Amino acid sequence: MHTFDPVNFRGQFEFFLQNPGWVYLDNAATMHKPRAVVSAVNDFYQRSNSNVHRGAHNLSQHATRLFEQARDDIAAFINAKERQQIIFCSGATAALNQIAYGLMHTVLQPGDRVLITALEHHANIVPWHLHCVRFGVQLDVVPLTNDYQVDQTAFAQLLEKKPKVVSFSHVSNVLGHVQPVAEMVQLAKNAGAITVIDGAQGIVHEKLDVQALDADFYVWSSHKLYGPTGTGVLYGKTALLEQLTPIYGGGEMISEVQFSHSLFNILPFRLEAGTPDIAGVIGMAAAVNWLQKFNIDEIKEYKAMLLKQFFSGLSQIPGLDILSSPVHNAGIVTLNVQGEHPADVAELLSQQAVAVRGGQHCAMPLFNQLKLAGAVRFSFAPYNTEADVATSLHALTQAVEILTA
Amino acid sequence: MTLDQLLADTRPALSQIYAEDLPELSQAKDWQSKYRILMLLGRKLPPIPEKMKQPSLLVKGCESRAWLMHYYNQHQDQHFFVLDSEARIVKGLMAIMLCLVNGMSNTELKKFELEHAFDKLNLKPYLSQSRGSGLNAMMASIKDCCR
Ligand SMILES: Cc1ncc(COP(=O)(O)O)c(C=O)c1O
Repeated sequence: MHTFDPVNFRGQFEFFLQNPGWVYLDNAATMHKPRAVVSAVNDFYQRSNSNVHRGAHNLSQHATRLFEQARDDIAAFINAKERQQIIFCSGATAALNQIAYGLMHTVLQPGDRVLITALEHHANIVPWHLHCVRFGVQLDVVPLTNDYQVDQTAFAQLLEKKPKVVSFSHVSNVLGHVQPVAEMVQLAKNAGAITVIDGAQGIVHEKLDVQALDADFYVWSSHKLYGPTGTGVLYGKTALLEQLTPIYGGGEMISEVQFSHSLFNILPFRLEAGTPDIAGVIGMAAAVNWLQKFNIDEIKEYKAMLLKQFFSGLSQIPGLDILSSPVHNAGIVTLNVQGEHPADVAELLSQQAVAVRGGQHCAMPLFNQLKLAGAVRFSFAPYNTEADVATSLHALTQAVEILTA
Repeated sequence: MTLDQLLADTRPALSQIYAEDLPELSQAKDWQSKYRILMLLGRKLPPIPEKMKQPSLLVKGCESRAWLMHYYNQHQDQHFFVLDSEARIVKGLMAIMLCLVNGMSNTELKKFELEHAFDKLNLKPYLSQSRGSGLNAMMASIKDCCR
């Protein structure tokens, strides 16, 4: 294992060589990909391209081996007990839709309750509406405390209503706050609920051991973990995966098809209809294999150091409303310039080659609660530098000056 | 406040922007001055009072909320508009757009090309993607007012 060297780490990303002028602080939207990932995808297309699980020819067998090796690598990465617990899909959104759809009428019946929190991404709200609430499932929402943390007292109280499913994010994509996932999972399990964790922002932040965490489902998107877009993982406990009704029907997922009915294949295939994103999955595995060469605790420390510098710089800029808390923060700082629209702030930062996101970050219900039109989000990754921190602080100071002149 | 009053207040603001601010904007040296001018433009357009901002006036497809009101003078075949946005830079850009289209006839408005017009004024760099999305949505709503 390498000790973490920020210069060496950043050097693994061709993007920054090609775009030296940009300060990229939109990592919560998507991350850059190291050369190891880009070349894994390229290599697949150039040397091994073939469809998987079909055809007896050697090429297809080779592609299938690479693809299934990726499943093993991902299973090892999160310490899953069995390889079939790794279901490949197009990302967190697809996984949450599969779970919500798949549980309805098998585990969830009209009148049952599902519990989410007030800071969920639309991907962990809309699927419950679409696949469950309209069939009579009741959605309860854990409110936030005044400092924008999930209200743990209210969480415990809402668990008394005996929700069948509790679904929440590991890390808030808006605020960066890390939830006490292990505790919340235990509480939910004690209340008899199935637990679903939206790990889209969490997987990159800390080492995940699904057996230790003991959540029933954990999902994420590869593109927020140094991997390609369009791929992701639905991890689940085997017994529950078997109860999910497949959201897609098609090739691969069946063992027998007649015109009157079809019999479903075994896991993981029954939840992977159609030709998967083979190159994407191989790239996703390349990303986690590459990442594991670095010490995750050192990465975490380095990111925390950048965050501390950023917060300390922010305290020197007058007129800011900072929504994110520096404690238990995965590297996301969301703020507003008092009295100014976030779109204006983001625009002025973009003009200075600082890439951030302004808006509601796919969390409209959260912003309605905060009574804000939106906010500007700075999200850090370990390839960011101390110079990035300084430049973005300078750019924000300039933006404030122009806006309040 | 009525639509008539808003229209009446908007017209002189637009003439002033056209005559004084656009030339200054196209000659501004650094980006800071450009944005200062843009925000000033936004401030020159009379705001639509909160009470009048009916949901039906919202322009869909903007990152920030924007509102559009329209009046068509049939006798003279002229379209007149009032607009507002909660984001100041966007409002400044919309003010420029409005300078160019306010008072146009039905045929002129149908033919109007925002990109071409901005290009002629050396303002095309302002039509970059993020800004473009709000502006294009506003342009589409303005064009929808054609008969
Ligand atoms: C917390 C959270 N959940 C879900 C998603 C959806 O991810 P994707 O769009 O990759 O499916 C995101 C992406 O922004 C997110 O931040």
